[in-house]
Amino acid sequence: MGRLLRRASLVVLASGFLTARAAAQTTVTGRVTNEANTPVATATVAIGALNLSAFTDATGRYSFNIPAAKAVGQSVIITVHRIGFAPKSATITLARGGAVTNDFTLTTAAAELEGVVVTAMGVSTEKSQLGTAVQQVSSAQLSRTPTTSVMDALQGKVAGLQITGAGTQGGSSKILIRGANSINGNNDPLFVVDGLPMSNSDHGNSPGGANGKGATQRADFGSAMADINPDDIESVSVLKGPNAAALYGSRASNGVILITTKKGLATNGRIATDVSASSSWESPSVLPTYQNSYGQGAGGEFKYVDGQGGGVQDGNDQSYGPRLDGRTTGCTFVKGTKTYDTAPCMQFSGPGPWIAHPDNVKSFFRTGQTQTGYAAFRGGTDRANARLSLGAENTGGYIPDELLQKLTTSMTGSLNVNDRFSAYTQLQYAKNGGQNRPGVGYNTGILEQFIWFGRQVDLDALRKTNDEFGNLYNWNYNYHNNPYWMQSSNPLKDVRDRFFGSASARYKIADGIEATLSGGSDVYRFHIESDVAKGNINFADPGYNGGLGLNDEYRNETDIDLFITADRQLGSHFKMRANAGGNERRELLTTSSMNTTGLLVPGIFNVSNAGITPSINNQTQRRLVNGIFGSVAMTFNEWWTVEGSLRRDASSTLPPGENDYSYPGVNTSIVLSDVLPGIKRGPLSYFKLRGGYAKVGADASPYQLATTYQGQSTKFGSLPLFSLGNTIANANLKPELTTSSEGGFEMGLFNGRASIDATWYNKDTRNQIIALTVSAASGFSAVNINAGDLNNRGFEAVITATPFRSNHADWISSFNFSHNYETVRSLSPGLTNISLGSQWGLNVEARAPDPKTGEIFPYGTLFGSPYARDSAGNILTADGLPTKGPNRILGTIQPRWTGGWSNEIRYKSLTVGGLLDFHVGGDIFSISNMFGQYSGVFKESLVGREVDWNNPGLVVKGIDTKTHQPNTINVTAEQYYQDALFQLHEQFIYKDTYTKLREVHVGIDLPQSVANKMYSNAVNVALVARNLYTWTNVPNVDPEFSYSTGNSQGMEFAALPNARSVGFNVRITP
Amino acid sequence: MRTTRLAVVTALLAAAACNSDKLTTVNTNPNSPTDAPVGPVFTSATISAVPRWMNNFRSAGLLSGQTAEVQYPDEDRYVRLDAASTGGLLTGPYAGELEDYQQVINKGVALKRPASYGPALAMQVWDVSYMTDTFGDIPWSQALKADSGLFSPAYDSQQAVYTAMFAQLTRAATDMAASVAGEPTLGSADPIYQGNIGKWQKFANTLHARMAMRLANVDPATANTELTKALGGPGGVFASNADNAVLSYPGDGVSDNPIAGLLKTRDDFRMSQTLMNLMLGLNDPRVPIYAAPTVDFTNGKAGAQQFAGMPNGLLTDSAGKYFNIASRPGLIFYPGGTAYGTIGGNGGKQPLIFMTFEELSFIKAEAAERSMGGLTPSAAAGFYNAGVTASMQRWSTYVGATQITPAQITAYLAQPTVAYQGGAAGLKQIANQKYIALFTDGYNAWAEWRRTCQPSNIKHGPGTIVAYVPRRYYYPTAETSANGESVAAAVAHQGPDNFATPVWWDTKASAAPTFVSTAACTGAVSRCDRDVVTDRQRLAAGPFFFCREAGRRCRPCVRLCQCFF
Repeated sequence: MGRLLRRASLVVLASGFLTARAAAQTTVTGRVTNEANTPVATATVAIGALNLSAFTDATGRYSFNIPAAKAVGQSVIITVHRIGFAPKSATITLARGGAVTNDFTLTTAAAELEGVVVTAMGVSTEKSQLGTAVQQVSSAQLSRTPTTSVMDALQGKVAGLQITGAGTQGGSSKILIRGANSINGNNDPLFVVDGLPMSNSDHGNSPGGANGKGATQRADFGSAMADINPDDIESVSVLKGPNAAALYGSRASNGVILITTKKGLATNGRIATDVSASSSWESPSVLPTYQNSYGQGAGGEFKYVDGQGGGVQDGNDQSYGPRLDGRTTGCTFVKGTKTYDTAPCMQFSGPGPWIAHPDNVKSFFRTGQTQTGYAAFRGGTDRANARLSLGAENTGGYIPDELLQKLTTSMTGSLNVNDRFSAYTQLQYAKNGGQNRPGVGYNTGILEQFIWFGRQVDLDALRKTNDEFGNLYNWNYNYHNNPYWMQSSNPLKDVRDRFFGSASARYKIADGIEATLSGGSDVYRFHIESDVAKGNINFADPGYNGGLGLNDEYRNETDIDLFITADRQLGSHFKMRANAGGNERRELLTTSSMNTTGLLVPGIFNVSNAGITPSINNQTQRRLVNGIFGSVAMTFNEWWTVEGSLRRDASSTLPPGENDYSYPGVNTSIVLSDVLPGIKRGPLSYFKLRGGYAKVGADASPYQLATTYQGQSTKFGSLPLFSLGNTIANANLKPELTTSSEGGFEMGLFNGRASIDATWYNKDTRNQIIALTVSAASGFSAVNINAGDLNNRGFEAVITATPFRSNHADWISSFNFSHNYETVRSLSPGLTNISLGSQWGLNVEARAPDPKTGEIFPYGTLFGSPYARDSAGNILTADGLPTKGPNRILGTIQPRWTGGWSNEIRYKSLTVGGLLDFHVGGDIFSISNMFGQYSGVFKESLVGREVDWNNPGLVVKGIDTKTHQPNTINVTAEQYYQDALFQLHEQFIYKDTYTKLREVHVGIDLPQSVANKMYSNAVNVALVARNLYTWTNVPNVDPEFSYSTGNSQGMEFAALPNARSVGFNVRITP
Repeated sequence: MRTTRLAVVTALLAAAACNSDKLTTVNTNPNSPTDAPVGPVFTSATISAVPRWMNNFRSAGLLSGQTAEVQYPDEDRYVRLDAASTGGLLTGPYAGELEDYQQVINKGVALKRPASYGPALAMQVWDVSYMTDTFGDIPWSQALKADSGLFSPAYDSQQAVYTAMFAQLTRAATDMAASVAGEPTLGSADPIYQGNIGKWQKFANTLHARMAMRLANVDPATANTELTKALGGPGGVFASNADNAVLSYPGDGVSDNPIAGLLKTRDDFRMSQTLMNLMLGLNDPRVPIYAAPTVDFTNGKAGAQQFAGMPNGLLTDSAGKYFNIASRPGLIFYPGGTAYGTIGGNGGKQPLIFMTFEELSFIKAEAAERSMGGLTPSAAAGFYNAGVTASMQRWSTYVGATQITPAQITAYLAQPTVAYQGGAAGLKQIANQKYIALFTDGYNAWAEWRRTCQPSNIKHGPGTIVAYVPRRYYYPTAETSANGESVAAAVAHQGPDNFATPVWWDTKASAAPTFVSTAACTGAVSRCDRDVVTDRQRLAAGPFFFCREAGRRCRPCVRLCQCFF
């Protein structure tokens, strides 16, 4: 098999890039070992001056053949890098036709304080000369526990990067770097893959969305960055905020995630093959705890007749019915009394014992299964190289009938035409599709039905989705679709075809000066079809035979860049790095959708079958941004660097006069341990200080400058409809401005066995472009203005240590921590707050400072009803029930801190590792808990239930508002949970603190002899697990949730829990 | 050589950055126009305005005792009549239809075409009158002025709003009278009168009359003046059902009657006892149109009543018991396929009739009885009979409605309880007949109840969060946050922002000739009227508890007395 693959790929490569080699060359060879003199494989050895690089093989050997023309007796620097080791370099002299041998001995580095990182515009920079916070994550760190998306892979690994998964498999993620900058706008960081921006837009319903009613809004279709295969990634650099990212212009204020993909290498004609395969099994990681004592109904009664109210409480989807004591008769009262009659207990499945089905939610979920396969081939010479990869992924979700499939291919090639000219090209194609992704949110969520539920319902009986006449078979016809039927008979299909490619040419104008011209496009088409069967409560008109929704989106971003870099030694003390460039960015987005809730003939899902005129929408959006930018960095004696940058953007979305704006940045770094060697005392071996200031401007979204009329595709009979939009435009919009200052230090301890990298920052975004809510009485509900100041200040640190190291074993531990405190410093004058979202009476707000007290509030306050209390804090009751006080701030969405702690222990060929993900503080309003108790389904709702309906059993502890004495009035549990606690938000606000065992892996490197038999140098077999365990005090729900990928956070409803996944992974490296 | 290369590079850079005149073109919105013809704008505004107030089995439909909630009775208990839930009734119209009508008016006035802007003037007032009747003081003189930078309009007193509305209606009727032959009308884009200016004049004057009568308690002089002006306005007032303001729905699944849309998915509504008992007591032939037979009756359950109402404002557990024994709203309102079975079938096509000849007849009857608007008491009976007759004829026109024959109408009017009695008793009859006729126009019925205290048995329910029937709604949370100072000024002028504060025209409720008592006219409930109770209330009442078994006799009972149905 391996041989076949090798041959096949040889053919592929030979046709493209392999060229014959000439004689009379110089060879450079050597061996790379660690301190224990064991060979270090897959280290990158490079001769920068000649654009040559190679990998070491399993014996730690590398070799270069340098053409005679290039080896002219000059001295060059040869460097070696490998993750986990400090880089080394040496100077060698290339004599024509000679042979040079240079061996390296690498020392393990706990943290890479020194070395090279990828920074803005893809420039590799010595970390010691960097004045900004950049954290790089290597491919090994990303892929130790395989994930299907780069967002999942980054979770918990980068300080200051907060990634919250949606829960749904294949669903979207919310990503923030150092908090949100924009009150109403987009706060997603920019993704750049090999120099080209890649869209990460989300599709479909927000995971917690309350009202996802459109057929093509049924589910969460995920974030578009899932199209890149984590296995193709060489490294990820996170540029944390404007200071590091200023060169990217408008979109840099939220930080940039720079992805560098794996490239071809000079392999001396060999083909290097990477193969990996994994298989894992998934299940929901957190499910509610249910009560199993009372069945469906209300007031203690239930009798099923038609499941829509025709019997006794049978339209009801609550569990306040008779006690589940196995009775077969007596589920309803004798008329006018509260004593049970002797009629049989009728359920949807017929008469039968009135018993609990404790597993009736758990049994709905199946064991999901994910299989991935990946193969990559690379090879080349010093002139040309190429890499080709293929990846496939198949996930059978833990929800019945859900299927996710992904295919990724990637091809890169580079060619050095001569000493001056080289070219590079890359093309990726991804096909990402899903079938029957589960519904999310309040109206259509699959979990919603298990929050409004009858605890006696035998879910297995619902696997029969239709009765003998074909009619739908369900436990309730008022509010819910049979969940099995929903998944099996209402096909939802989505597919995204994506091409992402670029080509660039680099020309060396003079020594140290290079110009690169590149162009590329990120293009995809995304198609959703939602077929809705007859009888679907959510999406089909009951008078028709089903519905249909179609959605198409085409997105294209094309960038053309010209980039010049100059790297010069100026005299004996100064080194200059300068660059300048220009960028033209064009964005085009077109969407079209069609939706009808009424089909005529059942089962024919085509527009021609529409009985209700479909609503049709199409939109086109364009944007053009031109930018020029430059930066100059001067390094003095290798220890002091000062860098200044400037960018000017011209954006189509702003009015003439304001559409052209410039902003500067400056930063510096000093390696104090070099300039003052005296400070290297005790354990301190390295100390660097850095700091900087940057400003970044951002434009508006397209078409904000003119007020327009909105047309409707659906007419009133035959009459066309146009209505003036509700947002009045502002023709004088200005760009948003984010200013950011940061400072930090990097410290090496115990000879590089431990390190601390810490950063403080303070960031303000002013002149925010917000659709300011104004009094609707003005004729418009919002006006676009520039206003407000959102401040983020915080601290982040990465601590890395190698507590133990020997010849056979080591333990590397890394802890990252970030604390971000975000406040609203001002809003528009007179405006008290801007609502970021609202559910069931609770608002999530950006609240302006109190005009009287000057008190400043955090961004994202939860504003809702508390308990009414007396001055001593006792709950006030009326008629036995707690009462609500006036609305007030009940919490904030911002966590106190977040972090991750990873550990990796290696003993000989065995590696054991894991990652803990921490989220401490912040508050959530759990709508699941509110309704789970309202409906009497969650275990908490047992408090106060009574056996005898004539003697209600709950006396609320509180002070009666009339008597001013302790409350003595008995109420029923139903009254308590439904009449009193409903929308009493204080009761359902929880501290969102949790720890997740995010990743666990136990791997073994098979013996070299085995690996060699597989035509490879290393074979690793690992047991891997994700989201294995969650520690939290938030009951019943997965405390990690992303209510939406927008700014409305801090609320949770019926989000599907993260998948707990356990599996194994085989990785064969060349 | 090197210089040339650098020059080329610099030129490329410059080219990439300096094509700024192209930028503006890129930002031209291809999706939505910056201008639109008045016709589609008028249509859009009208189909937004009318159902906002006429979609009324909820909200004021519950307050006025037309319907009651049998499931999830949060609204019937006034819980979901909080500021967040009802705020859209005030904020929605401004940014929605009122601004659109204003565009139609501005364009029409500029072109001096009253035929196109007159209807918009009248419809604006129709909309605003519901808003002020529901909330009291509202923004008007400074409203709809965002284009001149006024984003936080002040609230006008309701009196000022009424003055402005009277003026606008007079202007509408007068300007339209001046429209010239051949002047373009809204034509088919006018879904109410298809551009018939004469009918719009009548509409404006009839609305003028309704609003004048609202002021009868608080400012009888103005009421009288405006009523006189309205009845004698250019173009006249409604003369028959043919003049009714009717929004006909295509019923094509896209544009359906909103009541049918509501009933399609929610089986939450039953007829209220208040309306049903009144009509059943008068043997009203409209009962089978307004109400559907109870489920138990349809299923042939022994002893089941064919038509019955249920009490308003019950708690969930007691409300649910009426599911099968209280009437659903009439079958004519149901769309056929609903989420809970096939019921009715023509609901989607039914029109919303939002100003009627019958209402005008009752206004005239009252005016005559009270010698207002130049009318005399002797004419009252005629107007009263015309109102009842027109109402019965109108309800007979709904698709699928039971036809009421002229003989039935005659028989109905001949009953001693219905036959016009004149005097104070006559005014009560007028108010009660108007109340019956206003079914589906809940906000209007609620306003009329506040003005006349009729029917006098409208009460809050046992589960309501306040012990009276609301006199107004809370100001929207959107307004308190976006226009806080103006709201504060309005509250300072009008009174606390709660359900109890009367709107201006309601501040002299006791001046109504049909006024009963403060307790009765606020919808308060005497102990003995609590004939449906819950365990909670029974226990809260202590050892002695009054209960009216089967709606008949009030008796005290001790701890174990059962009042359950």
